[in-house]
Amino acid sequence: MNNSADSSAEAAEVHPLEWDEPEDNRKPPEDRSSVSNRVEKVDDTKLVTGEARYTADFVHDFRSVGRVSVVRSEIPHGRVLDIDRSTAESIDGVWAVLTPDSDVVPESLYTSAGQSYPEPSPWDMHVLHEHVRYVGDPVCAVVAADQPTADRAAETIDVSYEEYDHVVDPDAAFSSDAPQLFEPDEVANEIVGHDYDRNRMAHIEGELGSVSSAFERDDCVVHETEWETIRQSHANVEKHTALAYADEDDRHVLITSTQVPHHTRRQLAHLFDIPIRDIRVKKPRVGGGFGGKQAMVIEPIALACSLAVDRPVLYEASRSEEFGAMRSRHPMRVRARSAVTEDGSIEALELYALSNTGAYGSHGMTVAGNVGSKPLPLYSKVPNVRFEADIVHTNTPQTGAMRGYGAPQGTLALEGHLDVVARDLDLDPIAFRQAHYMEVGDLDEIAGMMGGEGAERRIRSCGLDECIERGKAAIGWDEIEQPDDPDCHRGVGMALSAQGTGVAGDELGGAQLMLNEDGSFHLHVGGVDIGTGADTAFVQIAAETLGCSPEKIVIKSSDTDVTPFDYGAYASSTTYISGMAVRKAAAKVRERLFEWASRMLDAPIGSLIAADDRIHHETTGESVTFEDIGYESMYGEDDREHIMATGSHSTDESPPPFAAQFADVTVDTTTGEFTVNQLVVAVDCGVAINPGMAEGQIEGANHMSYELAVSDGIAVGADGAATVESFDEYGLPSATETPPIEAILVETHEPTGPYGAKSVAEVPTNTVPPALSDAIADAVGVRIRSMPITPATLRDKLTE
Amino acid sequence: MHVELTINDSPRALFVDESESLATALRRAGHTEVLCGCDGGTCGVSKVFVDDEVRMACGMDALEADGSTIRTVQSLGTQGALHPIQQAFVDHHAVQCGFCIPGMIIEAAALLAENPDPSPETVRAAIDDTLCRCTGYQKPVRAILDAAERLRTQPEAADGVIADE
Repeated sequence: MNNSADSSAEAAEVHPLEWDEPEDNRKPPEDRSSVSNRVEKVDDTKLVTGEARYTADFVHDFRSVGRVSVVRSEIPHGRVLDIDRSTAESIDGVWAVLTPDSDVVPESLYTSAGQSYPEPSPWDMHVLHEHVRYVGDPVCAVVAADQPTADRAAETIDVSYEEYDHVVDPDAAFSSDAPQLFEPDEVANEIVGHDYDRNRMAHIEGELGSVSSAFERDDCVVHETEWETIRQSHANVEKHTALAYADEDDRHVLITSTQVPHHTRRQLAHLFDIPIRDIRVKKPRVGGGFGGKQAMVIEPIALACSLAVDRPVLYEASRSEEFGAMRSRHPMRVRARSAVTEDGSIEALELYALSNTGAYGSHGMTVAGNVGSKPLPLYSKVPNVRFEADIVHTNTPQTGAMRGYGAPQGTLALEGHLDVVARDLDLDPIAFRQAHYMEVGDLDEIAGMMGGEGAERRIRSCGLDECIERGKAAIGWDEIEQPDDPDCHRGVGMALSAQGTGVAGDELGGAQLMLNEDGSFHLHVGGVDIGTGADTAFVQIAAETLGCSPEKIVIKSSDTDVTPFDYGAYASSTTYISGMAVRKAAAKVRERLFEWASRMLDAPIGSLIAADDRIHHETTGESVTFEDIGYESMYGEDDREHIMATGSHSTDESPPPFAAQFADVTVDTTTGEFTVNQLVVAVDCGVAINPGMAEGQIEGANHMSYELAVSDGIAVGADGAATVESFDEYGLPSATETPPIEAILVETHEPTGPYGAKSVAEVPTNTVPPALSDAIADAVGVRIRSMPITPATLRDKLTE
Repeated sequence: MHVELTINDSPRALFVDESESLATALRRAGHTEVLCGCDGGTCGVSKVFVDDEVRMACGMDALEADGSTIRTVQSLGTQGALHPIQQAFVDHHAVQCGFCIPGMIIEAAALLAENPDPSPETVRAAIDDTLCRCTGYQKPVRAILDAAERLRTQPEAADGVIADE
């Protein structure tokens, strides 16, 4: 980070204080016809009747579909010496057995991370591995006529290995004495700071001002705390599923449960050396992603198997593969340090993360970067800030993108640390934060201090004050009553969080909108709805722009043959980036509607307004319907035109949404048992395009965040293998185990977003671990810094 | 081997393998509204009525169901005429990815047939073995409570399987 005046001036130019916002992008609530209404989610009726189609449902389109069973490494580290597949191949109904040296299995290295090109992740994977690095690495794939046959055949395959030493603990792995996972020729597209002799795939750091100088100041006390997070599973209820086949033009089609159709198309093309135009990736309804499907996880195996047998093939991961061999949240140890004056002025903040990326490096560097670049900018008034991370390999299951993307780990450390300091100095934890957090007009340089991933940004909307006020009122911050039982103590805790909205300067979304003669529209969007309601948000944005009712718009999204390009559903980008592409396309179509209406009404364009599926003359009250325009423009006597337009959006902006989390807990000091009485989270997501859907995102994210605080996650054994194989063994909180969650929407207006929107889905994932840790400290004076918080760990602490 | 079933009022004979689950057999017969997230009776999304009892279809052998009457979520309502429980899920934005929703709606239908005025705690207990990753259960619980009220005030709106019993 270069903090010179020159770079600040340059950044100010890129992110000016004033924003050239279209006048009609900012509407008071009463002028909004579709945006900020609780419009029915467009796919809901087919979802509640079971008529919606997920990937596995498409097998019924084919007479015969091969099923896949994957043989995975049973050792944590080693090299495949021999694969005995003779028995498997002799079983009736087995169509093919693929091994690393099969013709259809690509030899080249790739990353599964579904990111822009070239991916900021190392190319360190093969589709099937000879050098295996964790229990679960794919070695061999069986294709058979049905699943039981494929599974039975896979069990007969005998793989012999040369076993190598392995390492499970990230501290132990980060040493030149440790078993080394990667030889130099086993990685391409290496990432900054890699040092594979010590199993380090990347090292990143950035600084603003001078933290070390502040740490040496006489008027400051240096505080240091350490925090640890679990390996969390996405636990998407629909497993990773991909159907591969060749269509009648002999092009390769994948119907797949993905968040990144276009990245997957490009990555498959490169990996299999097939032209991009000859691959089609279609995303049907998806049963949850949460980042686990921001990756090309199983598509290469499905495609290779389909090529091998020249027939359609479905690969549906098993639930045990989901826990042991798909993706997970990076477990981390994060150290927080601060220099604080006696009167509570924070002069320096520092976070250091040791991230365990598991056997491969997908999303390793970028997730670790977000440990710093998401939470730290919240405290933009702090003059000296530093962040550093080492990302190391271990012989454990693969990690990847997961909702929050590093911010939950960083938020636990930073917010937990601030609460510790506030209590040490006897300061009000909220006022302490308020004295340092960002406000409208700030140029946030912390987000950009590592360069690349996040850029400096101007803060144009910030509802933190209101989030805190309303959250405090909802939880009853100042009026907590103690229980009658003298062994039980009640406490409240809180935490703040900021996220981003898309990856600054590294996003692209496209949309196309076409008028039908009856005044309805077809909207094609590259953006990806994985259950979030994105399709509905796109429709609402288009309807608001056009002045039509949402029912008049038919949306198709995420089919690389049909819809425009899009980076995909990740980084909280969809509404903001893809939604703005929709807004642009709709604004152009509206111009053409005005042009036709002007002719039909014989009135100047300046006198026309669009509303209620019509173009009205502002003063005479005369109007033409969109249907009138549709028929006239398509079948009229004079001129003819298919009214349609495209929109494309990319931006250097990534405005932060904000969350204020509150937790109310009662702890029994005799047992360590605790009850979370209530979670409240107030979120500033700008203008919520659909408040009902936005609340749902917040509640679901807070549930996931609660799990991050209280669940063991995916535990691994001494051999690094996941010890969780089924939902019964995984701590996904059920309905009775989930505390009541109150979501509060705090509206601000973000001028760079469509109708004032910024992101919502990630920021409430970050906040429960620190808020619950704080609440327990408030209740019983004991601080849990290593997640999960369980009755056993709490009891141990209480008896210390 | 084959089994004789009545699925959503239609008699069907299905060829099944000895060890295959009812969910696999139903899906192969085209009933893709029966979803499966866990491989064996733990996540709850494959719930159906088997002779009026809620069962996880993926945790039950198809052979065991021989001769029984199966009702899936499609027996409740259609897209054009939703059952009040389905309508409440839509109205409350209780659906995100939707994968657990058929199972949750089946469980809600069973609950409300038994207890027309459940408390929030009772609703949570009823859906406790149906896992949802998207919603945090907040809106599904509200939707089921609202559906209970709708069914109490307008029982005729539910002319599907539950009202017949």
